[in-house]
Amino acid sequence: MEIKEIEERVKKVVKEVLGTEEEKLKPESRFVEDLGAESVQSLELVAAFEEEFAIEMEEDAALKVKTVGKAVEFIKKQMEA
Amino acid sequence: MKVIVYEDSKWINLVPLSLIKCVFELRCGFFSMIDRLLPCLPESEKGLWVRDYMAPLAGKKYGMPVNDTSFFLDDLLIVNGRWLKTDGEIISPREEKAVKSGQEMLYAFIKKETVRRFWQGNFDEFLMSISGNVKPEEASGTILEYPWQIIHHNPKAIETDFLQAGKNGTGGGFSEKAAVTGDETKVFIAEKARVHPFAVIDTQAGPVYVEKGAEIFPFARVEGPCYIGSNTHIMPGANIREGCSFGEVCKVGGEVEESIFHSYANKYHDGFIGHSYIGEFVNLGAMTTNSDLKNDYTNVTVHVNGTPVDTQDMKVGCFIGDHTKTSIGTLFNTGTSAGIMCNITAGNVLPKYFPSFSWYINGSYMKGFGLEMMLATAKTAMARRKRTLSAEEESAVRHVYEMTSSERREFIRKSRMRK
Repeated sequence: MEIKEIEERVKKVVKEVLGTEEEKLKPESRFVEDLGAESVQSLELVAAFEEEFAIEMEEDAALKVKTVGKAVEFIKKQMEA
Repeated sequence: MKVIVYEDSKWINLVPLSLIKCVFELRCGFFSMIDRLLPCLPESEKGLWVRDYMAPLAGKKYGMPVNDTSFFLDDLLIVNGRWLKTDGEIISPREEKAVKSGQEMLYAFIKKETVRRFWQGNFDEFLMSISGNVKPEEASGTILEYPWQIIHHNPKAIETDFLQAGKNGTGGGFSEKAAVTGDETKVFIAEKARVHPFAVIDTQAGPVYVEKGAEIFPFARVEGPCYIGSNTHIMPGANIREGCSFGEVCKVGGEVEESIFHSYANKYHDGFIGHSYIGEFVNLGAMTTNSDLKNDYTNVTVHVNGTPVDTQDMKVGCFIGDHTKTSIGTLFNTGTSAGIMCNITAGNVLPKYFPSFSWYINGSYMKGFGLEMMLATAKTAMARRKRTLSAEEESAVRHVYEMTSSERREFIRKSRMRK
């Protein structure tokens, strides 16, 4: 999958789970500090990414993914693995 | 002669309570099972036999040899760690025999020649050989197999323990504005315990025993039989119904009936807990409540080792593993079993089974923030009560995390499919 497509789908998931507006979704946007993800929503994001991309995100590793851009990178690596 | 207190393969039936505790650590009445057994054992070198992953932790807690095969070179007294021994009598066998209550062995005394004959390095096989080959003797005794049985035996155990303790009287900490209704000789308040004004102790149905440092705050009502462990607080206005045991350093509010709080458990606020066993360092959020009776009055089933088991009892609450936390307003269904270190948030009436370390949020099982964060949380919670998570406990937790991972993943997968 092309990085562009991953990025679009990551944004779609974040919008659905957090209800974030499109213009706020930048690679450097932090899920907690910038997009206001509560702890429960962070878990829902992980679940939604796993479903969207049919990947497995190990809990401790997923916890280190703090921004939209890092999520795209993480998912790309997982899909290539 | 050597003496071994053992847990056998049925430890799995006492899950979630036994996940990071040996079966003989479980509490009923005033004491844990091993605290009942040890004073009844003859003067001799003593050891423990437990599942492998619990061995380091058991050794650290009890300071005696664990899973030491050198014990099998001598005459041997083996004592079942699931035996709820309340009579206080010394076990002093002279002849070789396997003493049983029904199919379950209470203890066996085996001469070293017989030990040598049957010991092949596998303890469960050894037990079967002893049970099948050593001269049997029938005796009455209670062997605990499932968590709800501990609750069932608790009120009677409290009464027996009270009689055996042989103490009564209210010490200096009993406010003159507090009251006892019923027989005042059925109350013992330890010297450094406090019963505040307007607290009521009701002994009409059984005794109440309050250990040192415990406090019963104003407007709380405590019905016997009841055991309140050292430094445990019964919060203002609490309604403690009959048949409760609270280990040390618990905080208990709201309504509680026929339940055991192992120790260091918090139920600070209102909400009802009945016919339940609450593990160590469990925190129940405000208004957490469990059902202990079905609306159709049929027997309650509980998931044990992946299988629903009919408890043969219509009054069964919930069994909550160590370090599990619930949110405000959590409603547990009748006969719920929640593993260790779960994080359960309120929704509708909840499912009846929670795999260890699972997070249940908005009606779904989910991955949490991972083991490391859960361990960090556990350490923080323990530090608040001046306790630490030992390396051995942590190792046991890590083992259970791996042991339960496939089950957890399966629940998460199914939960997503349902959405």
